[in-house]
Amino acid sequence: MKNRLRVLRAEAGWTQADLAEKLGVSRQAVNAIETEKHDPSLELAFRISALFELPVEDIFRNPHRG
Amino acid sequence: MHPEITALRRSPPERTYIVRTLCFMAIYILINAAAIVGLFDDILGQPAGWAVAVAVTAPVVGQIWATLRLMAQSDEYVRVIVAKCFVLAAGGTLALWTAWGFGETYAAATHIPGWLIYPCFWAIYALVSPFVRTSH
Repeated sequence: MKNRLRVLRAEAGWTQADLAEKLGVSRQAVNAIETEKHDPSLELAFRISALFELPVEDIFRNPHRG
Repeated sequence: MHPEITALRRSPPERTYIVRTLCFMAIYILINAAAIVGLFDDILGQPAGWAVAVAVTAPVVGQIWATLRLMAQSDEYVRVIVAKCFVLAAGGTLALWTAWGFGETYAAATHIPGWLIYPCFWAIYALVSPFVRTSH
């Protein structure tokens, strides 16, 4: 799933490990989401959304919207 | 911390899994080594030999338990990766064993001992892991 996680993380000045720690997941999970190899669960997507204080669709592109 | 060192760090569930794996592997090897050097010669080939068979199976069951615990204690990404590898390894092993079994029945293939299914499973698991980790 296309997303802006890498950009948002870079803007915050965090490493993948930093973000992983804040989200309570592994660094591999963050890397897999950034490289679009893993679609996060709704629960994790909401956690990311809350951390960056942005709506989910501002971080993850909704493939079902035109 | 240096990026390479960060990449090599394991999460607590992964570290626990590695320790459990090494323990179960050591038990498996020790029992088989003891049987090979003749420690159980008095009971092998007799009904009491089942005790050795069950004892050597215990670490196999333990390893499956350790894998399930890793899945339960890890995050969703690791859980998905382990589950995919496990299913592919189980499927590959079943297919290979079925093909070889029928090969023995219908094509006079050389008989291979059933216990080889366990190392076969982990060999396939190791083989598919890098592809699963890099696939979408």
